[in-house]
Amino acid sequence: MPTLTLKFKKDSTKIREYQLERGQSVSIGRLDSNDIVIENLAVSGHHAKIDWAGNGFLLTDLKSKNGTFVNDQLAISHWLKQSDIITIGKHILIFEYAAGEAQPDKGDQKMGETMVMDTGKYRSMLAKNVSSITSQVDGGEKTGVLSFLSGGEGEVELTKKLTKIGKNASSDIVVKGFFVGQTAATVSKRPDGYYLSYVGGFSKPKVNGQAVKESVGLKPFDMIEIGSAKMQFVHKT
Amino acid sequence: MVIVESAGISDVGRKRKGNEDSLFVDDELGLYVVADGMGGHQAGEVASSLVVKTMRDYMKQFKNNDDVGELAYTDKTLSRDANRLMSGVHLSNQVVHQISNSKTGYRGMGSTISAAYFTADTFIVANVGDSPIYLIRNSSVETLSVPHTVIAEQMAINPDAKFGKPFQHMLTRAMGIEKTVKPDICEVQCFKNDILVLASDGLSDKVAPKEVLDIADNRSPHKTCQMLVDLANERGGDDNITIIVLKVKAIRHEKSGIAGFFSRIIAG
Repeated sequence: MPTLTLKFKKDSTKIREYQLERGQSVSIGRLDSNDIVIENLAVSGHHAKIDWAGNGFLLTDLKSKNGTFVNDQLAISHWLKQSDIITIGKHILIFEYAAGEAQPDKGDQKMGETMVMDTGKYRSMLAKNVSSITSQVDGGEKTGVLSFLSGGEGEVELTKKLTKIGKNASSDIVVKGFFVGQTAATVSKRPDGYYLSYVGGFSKPKVNGQAVKESVGLKPFDMIEIGSAKMQFVHKT
Repeated sequence: MVIVESAGISDVGRKRKGNEDSLFVDDELGLYVVADGMGGHQAGEVASSLVVKTMRDYMKQFKNNDDVGELAYTDKTLSRDANRLMSGVHLSNQVVHQISNSKTGYRGMGSTISAAYFTADTFIVANVGDSPIYLIRNSSVETLSVPHTVIAEQMAINPDAKFGKPFQHMLTRAMGIEKTVKPDICEVQCFKNDILVLASDGLSDKVAPKEVLDIADNRSPHKTCQMLVDLANERGGDDNITIIVLKVKAIRHEKSGIAGFFSRIIAG
C-alpha cells in the first residue's frame, strides 16, 4: 500500500502519514469532510482527490483556487509515480510505494486492457497539437451541399445523416417527374463521405450521366439528375 | 421491411478468464448490439450487459408501434428511427454511469457500444468506443463506425505521430464514464446482399477488415462468425471475441398501388 506523507514545507518534519488503498478514493481539502484535511487558507475546501484508476493512482485537481502541483509542475490530473511531491498551498504530500510493492510503471502487464483516456490528460496532449488541430478543422468534416442547376432553386445543405429526395411532399428535397419515386434516392453521410443510393421509382437517379442501381460515393462537382431536377454536389466553403 | 439473416457469437478467447463482452441479436426488433466492457472485478461484464439490456428494453417499445409519442429531445439531422436509437444509447450511458457511482467495486467501469438498427429500407449504425462495424457491399468493405481511440484521433490530426503501447487501447469515449456521451451515427440505404459485421476489438486487433470481407463474402452469417472467431483465436486470442454477422436477404417494400408494383418489376 503506498503512503502519502504530509509535511509543511519540504524540509520540515512530517505531520501525518496516510495509507492509500487500491480501489479506494481519497479526497484532500480544508474542510473536515475530506479524508486528508489540511487546515490552511491556501487550501480549497475540496482541493484535490486521488483515485485508484486502472492500475495506478490518479491525482486530480478539483478546480482548486491555488492549484495543485506535482514536482513543481501545475497538475490538473496526474498519474502518481514513486516519490512524487504534491504541493497544495504550502503543504506537501510525498507519494511513496511500500518497499517491494508492484508499481504500475514497472509492470505494464495490464496495458493490453482497454482504458478510457483521462480527459484532462487528453486535453493537454491535444493542446500540444493546437496548430495542427486548427488545420484539421479547416480540412476536416465538410458539409456537402446539393446545388440546383435546374428543376429547383437554391441549394440544400446536407446536414442530415440521411437526406431523402423524391416526389413525396415529406421528402427533404422534393423533385417532380412522373417516373420519380415517392422516395427516389437518399444521400447518406458516412464516416468517409457522402453516398447517394437509389430507393425506388421507374427512373433511377443518375450521377455524371450514369444510372445508379444501388449506391455510389459522391465527389465534389458530381452532377446528379433525378427526374427533372439537376443538382451539383459540392463541399460547403 | 428488411429481412435479415443473423448470427452472433461471443468467445472468451485464449488468454482471459472471463468474458467482458455482451451481445444482443433480435431479428424481430431489427436490433443488434455488441458491447465490450472494461473495469476490473467483473465490473466490465456488468457494464457491457447493462448496455445491451438497456438497449433491448428501451427499443422494445418501438416494435410494431408507430404511435409512441415523440421523444423529448430529438436531433433534427436524424430520422425518427435514428433518434430512437440515439436515445437508447444515451439512456444506456446514463444507466452504466449511475451504477458505476453506486458501488466502489464498479467505480470507473465502462463499455463500448456498436449497434445496428434496421428500419423499413435503411439501417442505422451507432457506436461509442472502438468496437468496429463493417459494411460489406459489392465485394468491398467499409468501416461505418468511428473509432474513438487516442491513436485514431491523433492520426487524423498528425499522421506521422508515434504512439507507445500504453495508447493502444486507450479510448477517448466510452459508455458510463461521463454523464453524457456523444455516439457517432450514420444511416445507410439498405440493399439486398449487404453484409454488416459488428465486433469487439478481440476480432479487429487480430483480423484486418479485408480478411473479414474475404471470409464473409459468399458464406452464411453463422459460418462467417465461426471462422472469424477461430482465426482470431489462432492468432493468439488475447481478448474476448464477439461477432455479429447480418446478411440482408430481401427488402419488402411496403409500397402499394400500381406504381409500386411496376417499380418492383423493373427493379427486380
